[in-house]
Amino acid sequence: MSFPLSPQRRIWLRAALAALVLLLVAGAYLGWSRGFREEPQPAWVFESGESRFRYGSIGAEHDAGIPYWIFYVLPRVFPEKFRQDGQQVAGGYAALGVAWEQGQELPVGFTKKTIGFPRVGNNCAACHTASYRRSADANPVFVSGGPGHTVNIENFFRLLIECARDPRFNADILMAEINRVTHLDVIDQLLYRFVIIPVTRKRLLEREAQFAWIFRPDFPEWGRGRDDGMNLTRYFMLKAPMDDRFGPADIPAVWNLAKYKAETGQLPNYAGDTHDVHSVMIDSALGVLGAAPADKADFQAQVKWLQDYLSALAPPAYPFPVDAARAAAGKAVFDAHCAACHASPRTGTRMPLAEVGTDSGRLDTWDKASAIEANRVAASMGITRKGLVEEDLPGYKIPFLDGIWLRAPYLHNGAVPTLRDLLEPVERRPRVFWRGYDVFDPVKVGFVTNGDDAKRVGTRMDVSQRGSGNQGHEFGIGLPGADKDALVEYLKTL
Amino acid sequence: MPHRAEIPPAPWKRRFLFLFAFTVLLPAAILLWLAGRFGGDIPVDYADPVEHFKYGSTGGEHEMGFPYWIWRALPEVCSQYLPGPGYQSIGMLYEKRPDGSLRDLPVGTSRRRYQGVDRVFVNCAVCHTSTVRTAAGQPPVLVPGMPAAQFNMKAFEEFFFRCAADPRFSKEYLIPEIQRQGADLDLLDRYLVYPLAISIMRDRVLALKGRFEWVFEQKAWGPGRVDTFNSAKVIFNFPMHRLDPKEFDAPADFPSLWLQRPRREPRAMELHWDGNNTDMTERNKSAAFGTGTTPPTIDLPRIRRVEEWILDVEPPAFGKFFPVDQTLAARGAPIYKEYCAACHGASGRDFSGPYVGRVTPLAEIGTDRRRLDSYTYTLAVNQATLYAGYPWRFTQFRKTHGYANMPLDGIWLRAPYLHNGSVPSLRDLLEPAVRRPAVFWRGNDVFDPHKVGFVSDQPEAQGRALFRLDTTEPGNGNGGHEGRAYGTELSADDKLALVEYLKTF
Repeated sequence: MSFPLSPQRRIWLRAALAALVLLLVAGAYLGWSRGFREEPQPAWVFESGESRFRYGSIGAEHDAGIPYWIFYVLPRVFPEKFRQDGQQVAGGYAALGVAWEQGQELPVGFTKKTIGFPRVGNNCAACHTASYRRSADANPVFVSGGPGHTVNIENFFRLLIECARDPRFNADILMAEINRVTHLDVIDQLLYRFVIIPVTRKRLLEREAQFAWIFRPDFPEWGRGRDDGMNLTRYFMLKAPMDDRFGPADIPAVWNLAKYKAETGQLPNYAGDTHDVHSVMIDSALGVLGAAPADKADFQAQVKWLQDYLSALAPPAYPFPVDAARAAAGKAVFDAHCAACHASPRTGTRMPLAEVGTDSGRLDTWDKASAIEANRVAASMGITRKGLVEEDLPGYKIPFLDGIWLRAPYLHNGAVPTLRDLLEPVERRPRVFWRGYDVFDPVKVGFVTNGDDAKRVGTRMDVSQRGSGNQGHEFGIGLPGADKDALVEYLKTL
Repeated sequence: MPHRAEIPPAPWKRRFLFLFAFTVLLPAAILLWLAGRFGGDIPVDYADPVEHFKYGSTGGEHEMGFPYWIWRALPEVCSQYLPGPGYQSIGMLYEKRPDGSLRDLPVGTSRRRYQGVDRVFVNCAVCHTSTVRTAAGQPPVLVPGMPAAQFNMKAFEEFFFRCAADPRFSKEYLIPEIQRQGADLDLLDRYLVYPLAISIMRDRVLALKGRFEWVFEQKAWGPGRVDTFNSAKVIFNFPMHRLDPKEFDAPADFPSLWLQRPRREPRAMELHWDGNNTDMTERNKSAAFGTGTTPPTIDLPRIRRVEEWILDVEPPAFGKFFPVDQTLAARGAPIYKEYCAACHGASGRDFSGPYVGRVTPLAEIGTDRRRLDSYTYTLAVNQATLYAGYPWRFTQFRKTHGYANMPLDGIWLRAPYLHNGSVPSLRDLLEPAVRRPAVFWRGNDVFDPHKVGFVSDQPEAQGRALFRLDTTEPGNGNGGHEGRAYGTELSADDKLALVEYLKTF
């Protein structure tokens, strides 16, 4: 049946229809624009390789990103969740030990990108930027590619989840705080209140299951400068069921990556777990993204850029004077006692655990089955890489010593505070010290790990705790004291 | 012929009109009235820049403004939390009207009608205006832009927090006092707006009280001083009890605000006592947090007026108050040039000099380190998040490791001296620390033209107890700025000449 419409009515109907379509289009555009439209980061981010490494997005804002204004107010609303060693720490995100340059809106490794609305993600620099100070009365120097020995990653993971769990993580309370610091227009107000805040809360809580293990009371805290990388991979990427393995390791330096030559067997990762640098970078970056990349081609281009940048990045020169004569004497000691492993074709290859004797925790957190599964997951994302070594690995890799002065504390788990301590037999190495304080100790070579300031800033490291054993690598411990001092002087020059 | 029936007025038409009036006209009228009554955001403005400085708004009333009558009534209702009658007792200054009566609000407070209530809060002048008198019996002269040497900020903060926690901060006590003071509140104000405002204000102050708990635990700042950067940490809700104890007890003198332009041009000086920022507009916005502003509520056009006024306003000349011995001053000029000019400027108006406005490392200057230690790298990086989302986000805060060398314009009115006001007079500053007064009294506005500084050996003035500053207390150390290079080894005659010359600044 049909309705004969008068021409006038038809015009009205058409107009109404057109208005409706227009409204829908405008609404769709607005939704896309405020929710999903991707804006490039500002030009200053790309001014230098260093600024891009520190602040450039690798795409993590899509899935792991926190909406900017939520990120902004969390320390103000939930200051009690910034903790270490069971105690509250003051200073907002700075209390997490992140490298934070003065005048910068966000710490190094925290990227701001607008995808519909400004979001904060992370990049590699969050962990791979080292901080040191020449004295307590000096500002920090940040070294790109250095180990982030100050950063408390576990606390960062925990606090995001704990904030989301807190009943105060609601639109009323967060919006009140946001409105105290900025002016959002009506659309953003509504978006934040009804979409962004509830969705963020939900997304953060979804992480809870995969992160249950970092809340386990029977596991010690990683402490500043360490993460349990292989467990992160197992639980986050592979969604493996939780078991009792625990193996925190120091965040490594990632400068001068060109030294790893897959063709001669020099492998990255503490146990040489991966076939080549490219694969490690992809896997680590995927970990930062927390999901399959939104734009695969872009992701691969970012990783390629990072690999080029880090391959050519030189380790930093030792910033204090070096006694040249003593260093020369130390070189002879090095050649006689260290070079066979640390400056030879063996460097970068694995040494059986029985031979080096260091803590097995990190090695035990990984296995052949996990490697196979991880390779499968990466492949399912459509990412081609040589990938993880599908074997049970026999021991830790012998590290290159480039920039070793800034890589304290030592051993893969950071259980020995200084180079000089490492040259002592196990029973004479410090059993308790504080890590994550960044004033440098040029005598023992490492960071200051004791005293009021180190205790206040740092996290307590007790070598009797799981995964933190300081045994092993008892090489050179029988040298005369003068030789040890000379050796340490020489190591400053590497 | 068409038949035209007499149509009686349809009942539905009247009903419709009735309904229309009730559902549309009446609500619209009410809404309009409400918008008129509670909308609007109107500060009290002053055409004259000095009046604007003294009484104009920074926008702080939006967040922190006390409803006018609550502000007026509190000193009566909570008098036990003040050392004497009224805000005068904590060093706030009331000017006289032409008819000789006192103004209703003190210098350094502004008034703004916002959300239907007149609100009062402080502005720049509360910390940067004071009085001086030539002798005890003489009338005080108000000097806008000079350090508020009599204003006791700690007592001011504690008064409001204590009062808000007191059961008397309630409509039962406040409204009768308000009416006693002659307010003609209308019914709405009397029974709705003010009772509600009292409870909202109490909640708001109490909510902040936790963040300011640390203030109660500090050694008294006394008049003329504030712990600037521990207060700044409150913005970020740092858990203050977890800070390093050496960051606390860091009071610093309020600075003068005159002649900002030569501090910016030709070279931007390192501003604040420790020189932690070279950007004047950031320094100003940072200070404005102290007047209750927040990024969305700050009144930038009105702050701009203050900023422009302080660029060129000059301090009053010493010679207008006391004679200067020109011959003696002339003898002091070369001494100044030799000893002081490189760090403090060629003169009281010419701030050129290689080290002027730059930080001298603490090891060299040797003055009390607490103010320096109160400003941390952690705070500096957090400050870079302030005004995020605005083109004027803070980017210039830097942790330094010493104190900045200040120009000396109007130095005679900037007593007591050093950043913590631990040396009462210029003449005392030219003595080595061991010979500087170990204990003295702050807050007097009677001037001592011989030593150059306020009278500091009297425990009270005009019946009001002054603040006893003990230089052995933490944060009050009077050491440093001493030794041959600092003129403390000059002959007594040379010191006298130098002080005389400084009177001309």
